[in-house]
Amino acid sequence: MGVANEVVSFNHVGKTYTGGTVALSDFHLSVKEGEFLSFLGPSGCGKSTALRMVAGLGEATDGDVSVFNKKPKEMIQQTNDIAFVFQDANLLPWRNVLDNVLLPLELRGGNKKESKQTALRVLEMVGLKDHLKSYPRQLSGGMKMRVSIARALAAKPRMLLMDEPFGALDEITRQTLQMELLDIWQQENMTVLFVTHNVYEAVFLSSRIAVMSARPGRLSSLIDIDLPYPRELSVRTNPTFTEYVDLASDHLETSSDRKEIG
Amino acid sequence: MESPSLQVSKQNVVSKVKKPKERKIWMTFKNVYLGPIVAFIIFIALWQAIPVLLGLKHYILPKPTDVVEATIKDWDLLWPAVQITVIESVTGFLVSAVVGIFISILLASSKILERSIYPYAIILQTIPVVAVAPIVVIWFGAGFNAIVVISFLIGFFPIISNTLMGLNSVDKNMDELFTLYNASKWQRMWKLRIPAALPFIMAGLKISCTLSIVGAIVGEYVAGIGGGKGGLGYAITVAAIQVKTPYLFACGIAAAILGISFYLLVSLFSHLMLRSWHESAMKVEK
Repeated sequence: MGVANEVVSFNHVGKTYTGGTVALSDFHLSVKEGEFLSFLGPSGCGKSTALRMVAGLGEATDGDVSVFNKKPKEMIQQTNDIAFVFQDANLLPWRNVLDNVLLPLELRGGNKKESKQTALRVLEMVGLKDHLKSYPRQLSGGMKMRVSIARALAAKPRMLLMDEPFGALDEITRQTLQMELLDIWQQENMTVLFVTHNVYEAVFLSSRIAVMSARPGRLSSLIDIDLPYPRELSVRTNPTFTEYVDLASDHLETSSDRKEIG
Repeated sequence: MESPSLQVSKQNVVSKVKKPKERKIWMTFKNVYLGPIVAFIIFIALWQAIPVLLGLKHYILPKPTDVVEATIKDWDLLWPAVQITVIESVTGFLVSAVVGIFISILLASSKILERSIYPYAIILQTIPVVAVAPIVVIWFGAGFNAIVVISFLIGFFPIISNTLMGLNSVDKNMDELFTLYNASKWQRMWKLRIPAALPFIMAGLKISCTLSIVGAIVGEYVAGIGGGKGGLGYAITVAAIQVKTPYLFACGIAAAILGISFYLLVSLFSHLMLRSWHESAMKVEK
């Protein structure tokens, strides 16, 4: 438990918007290298707000966030270490699949030939090598999300931030992508921070879950998921899996009860 | 006695054998083109009949045949006039497109510039160009230059307002994506804002291309010169003084055809630019 491998630290972070809405209050959490950590909570619990702060999109009004011992904004400006996957795939509609994946490399100004090789590698990883010339509007929701993940991986990040990436997908596509994401996470030795409101998704993917409660958004509990990786879909029928789901649901409920009473 | 029923069954067979492709073409023709064609024929027929029935003189309301006759007779006057108007309006349009887009990008690249200048761009847009045309003539002298400037002025503002709107309509998430990759201001401009603005720019170009013809014709009213250098607007003023009504109609129709062709041309260009990705172009593709 050395501090050396701490990659993100939320230090009593608070966020109050100018209208007076408190999005996040006294949020304290330390993320270790190589973790798959999910922020699980109802809407309005500030989970996205917390994730966005790690990427330097939005600043804390109280406390501070540090990423790899630096300020998030500095990290974004100086390194490729942080990649962000948005809820909708957020692809540029005028670029085809390959060019969308090349975008981060273009913006960072890399060698063109190497960039293309990298792009092809990550596209192969997400199984889209045969759709290089397709435009986003020709792709299904799942394929768009794959391109989006490939784009995030292109710049070889050390940390992947995902804001409800599978929220808009159908269940079957979601399960496939969850499996693929776990594979990629293990292959690339990344830290993944994953925002979701889906308990099953959180338990299936994560090595640790941060359960959050709403209004004001704060951390309600941390749950370690001691299920071995690689996880197959059959894990879902495992009694331990069910116990974790019950536990996480309990924590979610108690935190929302508290909200209603308060 | 049985021949009629036999005939009927034969017809049925024939219509069934008819190739489905031919039938499809006929169906689209019937559904899409037949109506307008019939309406057009009825319109021309009425136009031909009414002056005869009411006994109107050809200088009040010429018949279509009079217009055709005038077109053929004065073709040597009409055709050069059309060519001159084409050159004037295309020049005016191209200048307004280039200058309009360039200035928009410049304005959009600096919040201060945009905030200080954009309100005036809107106010200027509401000034009727006809009202300032004489000033343009004083500055540039009668003839080609003044006409192009008037055509430019009329086509310029739709492009500016559309382009600026487009450049500022970038999706928030995409903007954040560029922030995450530490994109420079100009990277953001070239790789995000301009492509995102393209549908808006194209809409602006479509508006301004027809306006540029209006501008050229209005320009010729006030700044047109004769001696074989006059365009449609000049030809119209001359024909109006001489009460050559059929020829006036010919000029008007020529201007309309010009406007439609120009619009179709710019629409085609827009379609080619956007077809791979934009929804407005997708529908045409289907």
